Amino acid sequence: MRCSLVIALLLSSVFMSLGAVAQEQQAISADNQAQNNHLQDATSSPSMVQPQSTYQWLTRLSDIVSKENYQLSFVQTKTGQETVPYLWRHGIDENGTELEQLNVQNGPGRELIRINNVVSVFEPDVQPYSLRLEHINGPIPTALLYHPDTLTAAYEFVAVGRARVAGRPAQQIRIVSRDNTRFSYQLWLDEATGMLLKLNMVDLQGGILEQVQVTAFAITPAPSEYFSLINPNSLPKPMAINSVQTREHSWDVGYLPIGMKEVKEDTRRLALTGQVVEHKMFSDGLVDVSVYVQPSEDAVGADLALRHELSTFLTLTVGKAQITVVGEIPLQTAKAMAASLRPSTNQVN
Amino acid sequence: MTQQQEKLSAFMDGEIEGNDIIDAIKHDEALQAKWQRYHVYRGAMRKEASVAPQLDITASVAAALENEPAIVAPKKSRWRSIPVIGNVVPFAKQSGQFAVAASVAVAVILGVQQFNQPVPTEPFETFDTIMPQGGLAPVSLEQTRALPRNDMNEMLETKRKINALIADHEQQVKLKQVKGDADEEENDTPRP
Repeated sequence: MRCSLVIALLLSSVFMSLGAVAQEQQAISADNQAQNNHLQDATSSPSMVQPQSTYQWLTRLSDIVSKENYQLSFVQTKTGQETVPYLWRHGIDENGTELEQLNVQNGPGRELIRINNVVSVFEPDVQPYSLRLEHINGPIPTALLYHPDTLTAAYEFVAVGRARVAGRPAQQIRIVSRDNTRFSYQLWLDEATGMLLKLNMVDLQGGILEQVQVTAFAITPAPSEYFSLINPNSLPKPMAINSVQTREHSWDVGYLPIGMKEVKEDTRRLALTGQVVEHKMFSDGLVDVSVYVQPSEDAVGADLALRHELSTFLTLTVGKAQITVVGEIPLQTAKAMAASLRPSTNQVN
Repeated sequence: MTQQQEKLSAFMDGEIEGNDIIDAIKHDEALQAKWQRYHVYRGAMRKEASVAPQLDITASVAAALENEPAIVAPKKSRWRSIPVIGNVVPFAKQSGQFAVAASVAVAVILGVQQFNQPVPTEPFETFDTIMPQGGLAPVSLEQTRALPRNDMNEMLETKRKINALIADHEQQVKLKQVKGDADEEENDTPRP
């Protein structure tokens, strides 16, 4: 079993490079065609050669989500919480402008509108604002949708087989961390179009933590009428966020799960309490983990391990410092990370 | 006039008899109207609904409308420019944002109602602020109560610190992919 997995893995990594080239050529030829042909491409895709590797499936997914005009309804369920319905639209108008909308359909709602690389956020009780973002951060990890290639360092993609999801034939793919230190995922993609139909996040015992289930989707020749109602000039201007260079921390995290990289390092005051913390953020593309270090006199007190929604919250006091790890990772992994902090003076830096 | 009214009132109550008041009513339209209204009032007070067969406000409403400056008419042209009915583009271009803003405003109001519903915004079980002994505890228990109260403050403080860290993490996750203005250029290169 183990052996065959390794072989599958090797094969898939070979296909990966081949697939990337093929997809690129496809993309170029598609761009040369008229806009309207995009739909035909999508609808005629059953006659297309079925993707062979999981990586090709994922490339197909990122193609469809970034190039087609579509409207997608899905629900998100987290354990112990109510289901949240979403509406997701995407389109490319005649000028080539990329338009995207994500709307929370229940309650006060939350509306995110993206025009090219500016995302405007409308939510209750907060002044509308805009951010420079390449994608809307929704319940589906953007790396999975748009940059599946960045995930291969941390995760293995295993084709499971065919299934029926949302009334359509689907291809099931498992996404498992290479060192089994993170939660894993099950992904179902529409066989005809490659569109995501379902995504489960499961814990190490196989229990479902979070589910995204598509209930309806449509690919259309033109962008949704909705986008023509948006006046880009009246959206809020993107906020300037300056990354202030702070002095380097005197510590390092010694143990990181495979494929997890540091994405941020700074020293900040917490918005709620005003305490100063040193903060490093790590990401493997699908999950983000924060490590905080603060003087133990400010700190939470006794060592704690808690679960907040899907996030693990763990504190550990070492000498005069309190270490806190927050992120959607199993407790064991959080513990291992927290315990591995070491002074960085003798280290690489 | 007031004298007439008093007479009318008294006549209706059967306190006076008199042809002169009947004549006065016959000749005075104002008094006639009063006569009718008084009967309506009396009927209403006695809950005899059938007394008011001729309480006709339609005529006065119609008259009032007649005198009203014509506001309704010019609006018709605006109705025509609503996208469903008329041409889409100009309306959309001008007020698409307004439509979005309006929907957000509505959402805010809903939000007040919604947030009172059991949406678990607190990450952990709320600390029970009502001590077991409750409001009926005698004053002499005051000292024993002091201890848990200290505990509670500590616990709330702990909770606040935990929340602060979790909130910060969530914010950082949200902002993770935000590009600053400075490095915008290099990020404009097409993605792999």
